[in-house]
Amino acid sequence: MTSLTYNHFFILSLIIFIIGCFGLFLNRRNMILILMCIEIILLAANINFVSASVFLNDINGQVFSIFILTIAAAEAAIGLAILVIYFRNKGEIDITQINQLKD
Amino acid sequence: MFLVGSFFLFAAFLITTCIFVIFSKNPVNSVLFLVLAFLNSTFLFILIGAEFVGIILAIVYIGAVAILFLFVVMMLDIQVTTLMFNIKRYIPLALLFAGIILAEIIYLTVFKTSKDNLDTFIRSKNNTEQIGDVLYTEYFIDFQLSGIVLLLAMIGAIVLTHVYRPTIKRQNIESQNSTTAEDRVKLVKIKSGEGIKDD
Repeated sequence: MTSLTYNHFFILSLIIFIIGCFGLFLNRRNMILILMCIEIILLAANINFVSASVFLNDINGQVFSIFILTIAAAEAAIGLAILVIYFRNKGEIDITQINQLKD
Repeated sequence: MFLVGSFFLFAAFLITTCIFVIFSKNPVNSVLFLVLAFLNSTFLFILIGAEFVGIILAIVYIGAVAILFLFVVMMLDIQVTTLMFNIKRYIPLALLFAGIILAEIIYLTVFKTSKDNLDTFIRSKNNTEQIGDVLYTEYFIDFQLSGIVLLLAMIGAIVLTHVYRPTIKRQNIESQNSTTAEDRVKLVKIKSGEGIKDD
């Protein structure tokens, strides 16, 4: 296998996606790590979009990855804002107690 | 051969840093490994010729998102030891999930092979020019909508983290505009030799 194919990038993005989901499954307490796992999953989606766009010679995939980047930035901002007010109220970031926010 | 070698180098580094993000005990280390992972994916994108998205990834993710994470992690003063996770409880679910995706990988690699490779490409324009051609014409509405999403995120973050303090003195524009000259200034005629009576 001497040349780079789409399969390489597809498998790479799947592995990164699995790592991100593994982080979500294994770690149910640290909210910052959950946000970082979501960023990793979005990065996997970006790798998939961009490599498919390059190997299929279609620019639309890269435009989509720019939109994914926008949404990821917005999501990180909102998530960290929620984290900050949660920390201000509770003094910790253990999200097993986060259902107490509704009262 | 150079492409494949660089791909495997950056991919191995990317996977290793992603694993370190999850398993670091200190959240600051996790964020720094996240920066390294984004940097490696930037290299990968530049390697296959998607320079614009690669550089945007570096600017947006490393310059904005990861540094935002770093600020929050350093500001919040989290106890490191209390945040260890319970692996034994969640490992069956995680293994089931990983097994399903592994089956998908095997299916896709064994039964389907992609014939495309990078050597066959014909590029008439450079990458940034190609993106600019469609981003401002075909995707114009989506481009504006993503701007609105960013605006909403900004307003949402400000509203969520804003603390109202009643002791701070603020400008009241309505009362400023509704005052007249009579409220502020009084003309007093003074007779000579009597002085002013204050009332």
